[in-house]
Amino acid sequence: ELPPSHFPARRAAAVAVGYLRYLRGGPGRRLELRALRRARRQDIDDVGHKYYLELELEDVLDKGRTVNCTAEVLYHLGSKSTAPDVQVTVQGELRSTEEADKEFYNRIRSLEKELVAENIPDSHGNVPPALEPIHLLAWAASGYVIWQNSTENTQFHLAQVKHVKQVKRSDEDLQFDYVLLLHEMVSQEVIPWELTVLWHPQSGARVSWDRRQPGHA
Amino acid sequence: MRLPVLLVALVAVATCTETFVGHQVLRVTPKSDEELQKVQELQALEHLQLDFWLAPRGLGFPIDIRVPFPSLQAVKAHLEASGVSYSIMIEDVQALVDEEQMEMLRSSRQLPLDTNTFNYQAYHTLDEIYNFMDMLVAENPNLVSKLEIGRSTEDRPLYVLKFSTGGTNRPAIWIDTGIHSREWVTQASGVWFAKKIVQDHANNEGVASILETMDIFLEIVTNPDGFAFTHSKNRLWRKTRSKHSGSICVGVDPNRNWDAGFGDAGASNNPCTETYHGPYPNSEPEVKSIVDFVKNHGNIKAFISIHSYSQLLLYPYGYTDTPVPNQQELHEVSAKAVAALSSLYGTKYKYGSIITTIYRASGATIDWTYNQGIKYSFTFELRDTGRYGFLLPAKQIIPTAEETWLALKVIMEHARDNMY
Repeated sequence: ELPPSHFPARRAAAVAVGYLRYLRGGPGRRLELRALRRARRQDIDDVGHKYYLELELEDVLDKGRTVNCTAEVLYHLGSKSTAPDVQVTVQGELRSTEEADKEFYNRIRSLEKELVAENIPDSHGNVPPALEPIHLLAWAASGYVIWQNSTENTQFHLAQVKHVKQVKRSDEDLQFDYVLLLHEMVSQEVIPWELTVLWHPQSGARVSWDRRQPGHA
Repeated sequence: MRLPVLLVALVAVATCTETFVGHQVLRVTPKSDEELQKVQELQALEHLQLDFWLAPRGLGFPIDIRVPFPSLQAVKAHLEASGVSYSIMIEDVQALVDEEQMEMLRSSRQLPLDTNTFNYQAYHTLDEIYNFMDMLVAENPNLVSKLEIGRSTEDRPLYVLKFSTGGTNRPAIWIDTGIHSREWVTQASGVWFAKKIVQDHANNEGVASILETMDIFLEIVTNPDGFAFTHSKNRLWRKTRSKHSGSICVGVDPNRNWDAGFGDAGASNNPCTETYHGPYPNSEPEVKSIVDFVKNHGNIKAFISIHSYSQLLLYPYGYTDTPVPNQQELHEVSAKAVAALSSLYGTKYKYGSIITTIYRASGATIDWTYNQGIKYSFTFELRDTGRYGFLLPAKQIIPTAEETWLALKVIMEHARDNMY
């Protein structure tokens, strides 16, 4: 049993939330961790450390409705190159984002020039309302990077969308090339990360390519 | 018959929100009389609702036309069919208007006349904050004074505000904000705290009673070089701006540079990292100046160093597992402080020692101050928990400062009531 105020449980929770954001997040959905209710850790010989978590999430755009979740996060032993295994079970339904997704999809598809933006939020924490879906999509995509690169000694958050460029495609997907700044809490480093996100209302977000930006300390 | 018309007119006046979403500004520079005539034809078509920013003057003079969204296709078709070339000067007029409005809000803080017209709900530059300090002192000369405790690496003054109702070397409380320059909500909160102290004193409420027997020292911009850098070059800069020989990288983490477990696990010896502890303890003038101040003063009873983000209230140690002797007391005070903080807007904080709650960290401020005998040494990590992180929207400045102040008061009152 772990005290929720201690960091090991919180780090595992962040991984679970990142994973869930990737799976269920998108331009119309904002999921925040409201509370970490309970945490348990199991040390499995020759395998790794497994965390069992009870989380309370908030679907911010659904009037802040809370949703309960259980999650299991398994950090593999001694491995820095294998992503933790994550399983999340959401109790109940998340509000449908069909309308917002469709509207976003149509709006972007009808742009004459490919969308380009940077510094979201800006220095003062502002996000222009028209760019909020782009911001939320970045959060969903960052969930993938965070999940894939987390260890028990890291805690990542998306600090800022440094740059985003839409790339028009001949198929049905929307494509956005992002440069995200990830803040890693333990080292306090801000790490630029490049990624390509594909999105479609029916298939959700997929990170098709990503890499830590080279040339960074 | 007249009443509905009147109502409609009233509604139209009341909802005077004109929007320019999707409107574009096109520029045509007519090169022939035919082209000029084609544009003038457009002028006559009232239903298009064109707004000529630059009316037709003659050949070679640009004509700028704001075209509402519904008329765009028709106008462009008309021009293209006649072979009149145009360029799109403004792609979305509303976007520009919105941006401008934001700029105006930001620049409406141009040199406020006094601390009552100062905009606390906005982030400010170093000059603006230093100007604020001078105004506060000028307005309250019997309560507030400004001390220069040293100079930064880039030779900026390091200012501390002293709030005192008299006495000589009274037991004191120290609060610092902005030691990590990218944590903008902290300097902004520091500014708010300064004004709050003055207001409480004037109204004989809140901390007025504390000021009867104690002094308060407040260093708002503890790392001015870093702060200036976050405005000019890199919003996410954390460290100082010192250059120590042997490295091309700049800056030392001022919260790893203190002489408590210096250089142990929990800091980095690589100058290119964010937690670089520096070549030796107190190598940073920003840190040394506080060390000298604390030692010379000799009577500081509570020391609070404020950071963001994570919503945590922390007490020592960060460099060792060993609990501090009065761990139980600090834990109880923290519980009370956090409860007070939450009572205002429901903001949830966790609390505990640095090493158990956030991570191992060596050379941290409050570990040193604690070892100097300052029993009530705390660090705050203010809002939020990662949603905006360092880029906390300005509209959260005042709520953050207000709730944090309630927690600070709990700590200050505890120090006053448990004098040692």
